[in-house]
Amino acid sequence: MRFFDDQEALDKGLADLQGEIGKQLGMVASNVPLISNLDVWRNIALIYQYHQEASQKNAQAFVMQCLRRYDLEKIAYQRNPMLSEEERFCVKVLRAAMVARAIIVIDRPYTMLPYLKDTTFIYEILGKIEDLFTRCDILDYAQEKNRYGLINDTED
Amino acid sequence: MLSAATYAGKAAIRTSNAWLEYFSLALSITGRIFQKKTYNSTAVMVLKNQIYFTAIQVLPLLLTVAVIIGFLLIGIFVQILQGLGLAEYLGRIIMGFVVTELAPFLTVLLLALRSSSAMNAEIATMKVNKELHTLEMFHIDIISYLFLPRVISGVISAVLLSGIFSIVVLAAGFVCSNLIFDMSLDAYANLLLNSAKISDILILLVKCSTFGFFITLIPISSGLNATDDLTSIPVAVLNGMVKVFIAIIVIEVLTLTARSI
Repeated sequence: MRFFDDQEALDKGLADLQGEIGKQLGMVASNVPLISNLDVWRNIALIYQYHQEASQKNAQAFVMQCLRRYDLEKIAYQRNPMLSEEERFCVKVLRAAMVARAIIVIDRPYTMLPYLKDTTFIYEILGKIEDLFTRCDILDYAQEKNRYGLINDTED
Repeated sequence: MLSAATYAGKAAIRTSNAWLEYFSLALSITGRIFQKKTYNSTAVMVLKNQIYFTAIQVLPLLLTVAVIIGFLLIGIFVQILQGLGLAEYLGRIIMGFVVTELAPFLTVLLLALRSSSAMNAEIATMKVNKELHTLEMFHIDIISYLFLPRVISGVISAVLLSGIFSIVVLAAGFVCSNLIFDMSLDAYANLLLNSAKISDILILLVKCSTFGFFITLIPISSGLNATDDLTSIPVAVLNGMVKVFIAIIVIEVLTLTARSI
């Protein structure tokens, strides 16, 4: 987890992180939306097909198997506007994990899930697919530390 | 006087910049055509979808228009030529005007009205919704994934649909000439073959391909000019469609000039 005092510092931190991670970056952020003219499974499969050079058939089978881990096969053929905030977040995390040797970066998760009181849901989501990514960094403002169960540290 | 000159100057700079953008985008897209890595499974999937949306879905409308125009126009031509005693010019009129000029023009108008506007709105919406940013964040080449399949499908659709339009019109021509002149199929085919020139066919192919290229390139480029504001979508579509219409007229004039030379 990395905390920043204001948006300028967070944007700079994010830019540094992007430069450091390069093509392994799997971004989860409110300003990185799902593609609205693709179904949920195609949104996820697009990254897998593109980066792992998989066929559409193999990508679809793999994505459906991943969605099953969240019990979300039912939303596979839905599009972005039909999804709840939790479903959208899960799909974004799965999509980020499709990058080869993915390093998932979650930028201000509480902007995507504003009603959450703590990180339990986020860790549950990440835990179910921990074999699919190398590392996960969460970036947020320092004033949100209490929602992560932290009080003093600037970086954990 | 000065403000008029300033306005004209600004308009000229704006137009030059727009054409520079098209040229730059056209170069990037053309460059990708020859790269093997462009044709990955995602781009092929988009290409198949685009051909379906652009060439297949429009077929019923195109065939209906071709049948109506074919029978009406050729019926009128045949009757006028019969009245004037110029029946021997029927082949030249069908091949020289209907097949090489009218068929591609009407086909590209239909494609532009249906697909170019949709593409323009789609790209503008993706820009406004930051979906293009999403693709960049995941290191997906938007030219290979989004633009090139649309341009290729535009070229393929324009050429194939013009061909289909021409075939329908020629069939209508046969029915009309059979009814009015009692002309046999052999005589009709000979009439057309004698009137067909290889140079006309080549110009027709080049014209259809150029139409297909520009009626997809211009909407894509206009869509990219949308800002973060939702209200920029209709502006981008409007500007794009006006430019598409101008491009169609310019290409038509250029090919007419080429044929006359």
